[in-house]
Amino acid sequence: MSELSITELSKDLRSAIEGLESNKNLDEVGVVTRVGDGVVWVHGLRTAGYSEVLQIETEKGVVEAFALNLLEDEIGAVLLGDDTPVKAGQTVRLKGSVLTVPVGPELLGRVVDPLGRAIDGGPAIKTKQTGLVEREAIGVMGRKSVHEPLMTGIVAIDAMFPIGRGQRELIIGDRQTGKTALTIDTMINQAKQKTGVVNVYVAIGQKSSKVARLVERLKQEGVMDQTIIVATSPSDPASLLYLAPYAGTAMGEYFRDNSQHALMIYDDLTKHAVAYRQMSLLLRRPPGREAYPGDVFYLHSRLLERSAKLSDELGGGSLTALPIIETQAGDISAYIPTNVISITDGQIFLETDLFYQGIRPAISAGLSVSRVGGAAQTSAVKSVSGNLKLGLSQFRELASFAQFGSDLDASTKQQIDRGQRLTELLKQTQYQPMSVWQQVVSIAAVTNGYFDEVPAASIKDAQAALLSKVAADHKKEMTELDKGGKPSEDVLKMIQKTAASVAKGFEDK
Amino acid sequence: MARKLSRRSLALYVADGLTPARRRTTIGQLAAYLVENRRTKELDLIVRDVAYFLSQKGTTSATVTSAFDLNAETKAAITAFIKDKTNSSQVSLDSLIDPSVIGGVKISLPGYELDQTISHKLTVLKTRFKKA
Repeated sequence: MSELSITELSKDLRSAIEGLESNKNLDEVGVVTRVGDGVVWVHGLRTAGYSEVLQIETEKGVVEAFALNLLEDEIGAVLLGDDTPVKAGQTVRLKGSVLTVPVGPELLGRVVDPLGRAIDGGPAIKTKQTGLVEREAIGVMGRKSVHEPLMTGIVAIDAMFPIGRGQRELIIGDRQTGKTALTIDTMINQAKQKTGVVNVYVAIGQKSSKVARLVERLKQEGVMDQTIIVATSPSDPASLLYLAPYAGTAMGEYFRDNSQHALMIYDDLTKHAVAYRQMSLLLRRPPGREAYPGDVFYLHSRLLERSAKLSDELGGGSLTALPIIETQAGDISAYIPTNVISITDGQIFLETDLFYQGIRPAISAGLSVSRVGGAAQTSAVKSVSGNLKLGLSQFRELASFAQFGSDLDASTKQQIDRGQRLTELLKQTQYQPMSVWQQVVSIAAVTNGYFDEVPAASIKDAQAALLSKVAADHKKEMTELDKGGKPSEDVLKMIQKTAASVAKGFEDK
Repeated sequence: MARKLSRRSLALYVADGLTPARRRTTIGQLAAYLVENRRTKELDLIVRDVAYFLSQKGTTSATVTSAFDLNAETKAAITAFIKDKTNSSQVSLDSLIDPSVIGGVKISLPGYELDQTISHKLTVLKTRFKKA
C-alpha cells in the first residue's frame, strides 16, 4: 500500500468537499426500473447520449454504467461492476461524459483493468492524461502506408509473412495451437532487439492464472518495463470484457500519437464477440447469425481501424494490431473468423495437425498471408527468403502425394528433402526469438543448399553450431547485418563457407 | 394488432388532457387503456412522465426532503428557487422528513434533482476514495 500522509488526506478531503459544495445546479435524474445480469433499465434521463456514463446511487456508493440502448421510454445500460447493490427505485444521474481511461507512460509495467485501475497490487496509477475508450479512427490523410518492419523474431513469420508497423495481422487457430505463444515471443523480441515498441497485451476473459504466468514470464525476460497488460477474467462482468480492447487501444494510441510505436495484442476477439453477444441479448437486441447482433462486424472493424501508421505530419507513430481468434475444429469459415479475416491485413493460421507433428510454431504456409507487410520486410531477410514460402507450400503438397508412392524422380525427391530441412529450420523454441542476422544466416544456409547433406533430424543442431561460429568469428559483420540492410557478397560468401564447414561435421552422423 | 403506445405518448396525451373540463374523462380513458392492455404495472412510470410534461408546461410538483421540518421562510426560498430554475408559474411543494439524510435538503422535481444532503455527499466521497 502507498504511504499515507494525513496532511495530504486532509487536503484531498477538503478539496473534495469544496468541489461538492460548488454544485448548485439541478441534476437530470432517472430511476432504476429493472436490473439483472449486469444490465440495468432506467426511466428518465431524456438527454442521455449513446455510451454516456450513468451513475447509480446505491447504499454501497455510486455504481457506474454506460448507456447502450436509448429507447423512447427507457434506457438500457450495462453496469461496470457488481450488480448486487443496484436495486429498482434507485436514483440515476448522468455523469456528463463518455468513458475514458488513464493513458500515458505511467501505465508501463502495470497490470490494469479496463477502467485503468491497477490490479497488480501496486500503488494507484496517477496519469496526466486520459483517453477516450471509444474514439474515431484516424482518417485517410492522417495515414501513411506501412513501410517499417515489426520484427516478431519468429523466422517463419518474418521470412514468409512479414508484419509492418501499423498493420493488423490476425493470428488464428484452434485452442492449444500456440497463438498466445507467438504474441509473447513477439513482445519479448521487442525488448531483445531494443526496438522501443511498447506492448499492450489485452487479456479478454483469460484465466487469472494464465495472466499471472504471463506477467512472471515477461518480468523474467525484461519485457514488462515496456508493456501494459489490460486484464479481464472470466468472472468479470461482460461489460468489462467488452470494454477491454477499446480501453487497451486508447492506452496504445497515446504512444502512437506521440510519435512512438506500439503493438496491440487482443487475446482473444472470439471471447470479445461472445461477451458482446451476451450483452446484446440481455439488452433485447435482435439476434442474427449464431445469435450475434447485427453490428458484430462493426464491433471489430471500428476497433481494428484504430491501428494505423500515422503520416509524418502527425508524427509518424504507429499502432500495430495482432488480434487473436480461436477457431473450432479449424473452421475458418465461421462467422467471427471470416469477419476478422476480412478486416485485417492478413492472417497467420496455426494448424492443429502441424502442432501435434511437432512443427512449432504450427504455421500453415498455404493459408497464412500478409497483405501489406511485404513492403515492410527488412532487405536482409527479403534477400534470402524469396522462394521460401513457395518452396514450403510445394513441399507440403508433394509430401502428401509422396505418401502413396515410393518411385519419385530426382527433382521431386530433392524438393522433398529441401522441404524437410526447411520445416526443421522453421521450428523454433518458445521464448527464443531470433535477431535479423540469425534469421538471415539460418535461411541462407538451407535455401542455398549448404545444408543439403545434413540429415533433417540434425538441422537444428547444425543451425545452432553455424550461428555460434558466425557470432564468434564475424561479430562486426553480424552487427551490421542486424540493421536490416541487404547482405553484401562478402557476407554471403562467408555464410556459405562457414555453413559448408559446419555441415561437414554433421554429414556422417 | 394495434401498435403498443409508448409511455411517453400516453403521458403527453394525459398531460394535455388534465384541464378542469377534461380531467375526469382523461383519467378514465387512461385507466381503461391500461387495464385493457394489461399495462397497469406501468402506472407509476406514466405518472412520473405526466409530472415531467406538466412541469414543461409550467406546473411543477416538487418534493423537498430534509432531516428536520423546514420553516415557512425556507420553503418559500425553495419555491422561488424552483420557479427560477424551471421557469414554472405554479409550484406545489411537498415536504418529507427523513432523518437518514442527516442534514441539508434534497429537492426532487420531475426528471431533475438537487441533492445537497449530507448522506449524498458521504456516498459520493465514499465512492471517490474507494476508487483512488
